[in-house]
Amino acid sequence: MRIKNHPIISFVEKKEVNFRFDGKNLRGQAGEPIAAALHNAGIKVLRHSPRHNRPRGFFCAIGNCSSCLMVVDGKPNVKICVTPLQEGMRVEYQEGKGDIDAGN
Amino acid sequence: MKNSAEVVIIGGGVVGCAIAYNLAKMGCKDVVVLEKEYLTSGATGRCGAGIRQQWGTEMNCRLSKASMDTFEQLNEMLDYPVDIELKQDGYLILAYEEKEIEQFKKNIDLQNRLGIASKLITPPEAQEIVPHLNPEGLLGAAFCGRDGHANPFHVTQAYADAARRLGVKIYTYTECQDIEMKGDKITGVITNRGRINTDKVVNAAGGYSDLIGNMVGLDLPVYSERHQIMVTEPVNPLQGPMVISFYHHFYCQQVPHGAFIMGQGDPNEPRGHNIGHSWQFLQELSQKIGRTFPVLRQLRIVRQWSGLYNMTPDSQPILCEVPEVPGFFLAIGFSGHGFMIAPMTGTVLAEMILGKELSMPVEKLDLGRFDRGELVLEPSVV
Repeated sequence: MRIKNHPIISFVEKKEVNFRFDGKNLRGQAGEPIAAALHNAGIKVLRHSPRHNRPRGFFCAIGNCSSCLMVVDGKPNVKICVTPLQEGMRVEYQEGKGDIDAGN
Repeated sequence: MKNSAEVVIIGGGVVGCAIAYNLAKMGCKDVVVLEKEYLTSGATGRCGAGIRQQWGTEMNCRLSKASMDTFEQLNEMLDYPVDIELKQDGYLILAYEEKEIEQFKKNIDLQNRLGIASKLITPPEAQEIVPHLNPEGLLGAAFCGRDGHANPFHVTQAYADAARRLGVKIYTYTECQDIEMKGDKITGVITNRGRINTDKVVNAAGGYSDLIGNMVGLDLPVYSERHQIMVTEPVNPLQGPMVISFYHHFYCQQVPHGAFIMGQGDPNEPRGHNIGHSWQFLQELSQKIGRTFPVLRQLRIVRQWSGLYNMTPDSQPILCEVPEVPGFFLAIGFSGHGFMIAPMTGTVLAEMILGKELSMPVEKLDLGRFDRGELVLEPSVV
C-alpha cells in the first residue's frame, strides 16, 4: 500500500527500480527507504528477535530501534528504514545478530 | 530501616555484596549494605567485565586465581537462576616492545609458580587465536585460556540475592553521610534515611572510598581516576579472548551477547570523581582499535560511559582493618580490577571481620605498607 494523495505532503513520483528480497524480485521507488518498498509489497515482518525469535515489524522508522536490521548486498545490520533503495539491491533477512565480513 | 547492625557495609558493588554474602554464610546475619544509588551503579556496573589471572604481583595472582575458581562455580554456589555469562576464551596480552616481553616472562614465571597456566606465544600463534588481529609491530603475546569474562550485573545480583536470603538487609538509594565516633571507636552510621547503631563498618565504596575514609578522620592513600569505555552493536561470535595492550593502553573484548566492549587508559587523566565522557575518547580509541582489528571498523558504536578506578600507589587493593580505627575495615583501591577479584575479597574480608583464620593471607595488602615503603608495584594495569 502506498499513500498517493495526502492533504499536506505531496509525493513526487520517483523512478521504479527492481530489487531482490529473500529470493523474490520486487519493485520499489528509487531513493525511498528499503522498508517503505517492503511495506508496499506487503512485507510486515522485518526481523526476528535474537533471543526469543519473536517477529519484529516496522517500528521506530528513524534508525534507532534495531527492529528492521537486514543484510543488504552482503552487509549485516543495515537499518533498512533509513537506507535508500537502489536498483539491483539484494536484501535478505538477517539470521541472529549478523556476521561481519572478516574478508574486508 | 533497621536502626542497628553488627556490620554496616558501605557500597553496593560486587565487593560489598560479596562481603555481605560471606558474612551471612559464616553466620553473621545482622548485616546492612548501604548503597547510595542502585546495586552496581558505581565501578562494578561500569567496568570492562573481564576476569584475568595474568598479573604481575603475587597477591593479584593469588586473589584472581582463587576468584576464578569461585566464578566457575558461582551459579551453583549462590543458587542463582540466570547464567552469569562466564566465558573462558582467554586473555591475550600483546607485546610491542622488548621490555614488555621481558616483563611478561617474569609475570608468566610467577603465574606458573602460583598455578596459573599462562604462556608466552609468538605473533603467528596469537593470530591463530584471534585471526582478525593485525600483527604489525607485534613481538609476541601472553595468553591464558582460562581467563575471560563474566557479567558484573548478574554476579552482583547473585551475591545480593543470596545475601538477602540469609537475612542481610540491602538498602539502595541510602547514602552514608557520616560515621559517628566516640574516641577511636565507631558508634554508628548516619544515612539520609536515619541512623544505624554499629561498631563495625566496611568501606567498600569504590571510587568514593576516600570520602568514606574522611568520615573517620583518615586520609587514605587512594585516589580516583576516570576511565572511559564504549560498546558496539552486537554481532555473531568473532573474537574469543579479551585482547589488551599496555603499550597502546587499550582492552577490547566481545561479550557473550555479541557486543564489543573496549576502553583505554589515558595517562593524562586528572585525579578526581569526574564520570563524564568525551568525543575525543571515541575518536582516539576507534582509531587504535581500527588499526589493531581492521574488521571492527565495520561496527557502529552504540554507547559510551565512564567509571572510576580507585587507584593505590602500587595498583594493588587495600584489604585490612585500620589499626587506628578498630572496627573500620577497608576493601578499597582495586585499581581497575575489583570485579575479577571480588569473590576472594568477599571471603577474606568476612573472615577478617569475624576474627577467623584467613583462607588466604593478605597481610601484604594492609594499609601500613605505604608507610613502611614495602611496595610491590603491579606492572600490568590498562
